[in-house]
Amino acid sequence: MEHCEPEQLALAALGEPLPSDDAAHLAACETCRAEVASLRRGVDLLAVPEFAAAGPSIAPPPRVWDAIAAATGASAAATGVPRSPAVVPEPAPDNVRVLRPRRSRLLLAAAAVVVAAGAGAIALNRDDVVTVASTTLDPLDSSRATGKASVVEEDDGSRVLRIELDAPAAEDAFYEAWLADTSAVGMIPMGTVRPGTTSLTVPDGVDLADWPTVEISVEPIDGDPQHSGVSLVRGALDT
Amino acid sequence: MLLDRRRLHLGSVPDVDPVPALRGASEPDDQEVGRRFGEGEEQALAWAYERWAGQVHGMAVRAFGPGPDAEDVTQQVFVSAWTGRSGYRQESGPLPAWLVGICRHKIADTWARRDRQRRENEAAVVDAQARPGGPVTAGVDTAVADRVALLDELELLGQPQRGIIELAFFEDLTHAQIAARTGLPLGTVKSHIRRTLERLRARLEVDGGALRA
Repeated sequence: MEHCEPEQLALAALGEPLPSDDAAHLAACETCRAEVASLRRGVDLLAVPEFAAAGPSIAPPPRVWDAIAAATGASAAATGVPRSPAVVPEPAPDNVRVLRPRRSRLLLAAAAVVVAAGAGAIALNRDDVVTVASTTLDPLDSSRATGKASVVEEDDGSRVLRIELDAPAAEDAFYEAWLADTSAVGMIPMGTVRPGTTSLTVPDGVDLADWPTVEISVEPIDGDPQHSGVSLVRGALDT
Repeated sequence: MLLDRRRLHLGSVPDVDPVPALRGASEPDDQEVGRRFGEGEEQALAWAYERWAGQVHGMAVRAFGPGPDAEDVTQQVFVSAWTGRSGYRQESGPLPAWLVGICRHKIADTWARRDRQRRENEAAVVDAQARPGGPVTAGVDTAVADRVALLDELELLGQPQRGIIELAFFEDLTHAQIAARTGLPLGTVKSHIRRTLERLRARLEVDGGALRA
């Protein structure tokens, strides 16, 4: 395969998941990996939690304005400056340190895992497993996500639903895969899916002819095990 | 007045909800504050502080915890912004985004200063032990210096490149989300990201070479 597009390598340096072809190539290609590593240095240096734009607003104590006014001579004109922390109460130091985990760092680790898993799956595909059903996953609603799903049967007869999902990382939510019956009323939860490749075990006794639809939903982290009603992609397995 | 606040498309600061109780009818909107700040009107400095000091200080507290260091950084941001107000270009972004950018520099400068102090202290300890040999080079943290250099390099970027990379770095958006936010085509966003990361890499190579020379 040809090398990854330079733009794709830049996205990999940012920690974005790559389409499976690119991810598989990257796993195997020293040149492309070195390129990603060299581009990633700038990302690692700047995409740090301390520089993140979104964070709690904390009103400084009044002496800060006093010092600014003294340094700039602006005190005479300052009429609207709150003299006390009127905007947001100062949180306890413990709260202050709670930061949203950075996608860049987490996904770099995740991408490495996906890359490794992808490479392994390709090797497996050649010898040990049989694909029994597959489908493309098409975007629903306003999503621009796409993907592929296949069910493979391994040597021991167990079946694995392998999902390749090309979607942005979910924000304050996660993706979940479901098998649905033909009426799309009954649904079997299959587990959490991440952008990239995810393998899930299909329960024994589930006849794919009865449960042919693969759907991925966006689930808020609210503890509710029901389908959220927000669907990302869907496809019908050709059994 | 709330309705006509312009939605920010670029720049690294999301809209900050104003505090209506503190906002008199005669007070200008954020854009107007930015304009008057640039013109050197002292009341605009006070308004800017009233509206965005919490955000700036919040960043400083995240970096250093509550206390004198964070307060120093917040103070430096507003004093530097005021003295350097002729450098503020309203067309390249709203004032709060500019303030937050200055805040990143001040945080990076403070890290660099601490690192320098740490090395001096370590060197002093080694000197006190009268260690024979050449000058002491207690572990220079190159990441600290590199970070300062890269923030400088970001300053040199024009729009939309700068806004795009700031959304990726500081708001953690994917290229698809950046395209959606800015209305730019996906391919444009991707190629800007690529070129900016190349540029940052080149800056690191130049500075690294200068350090070693």
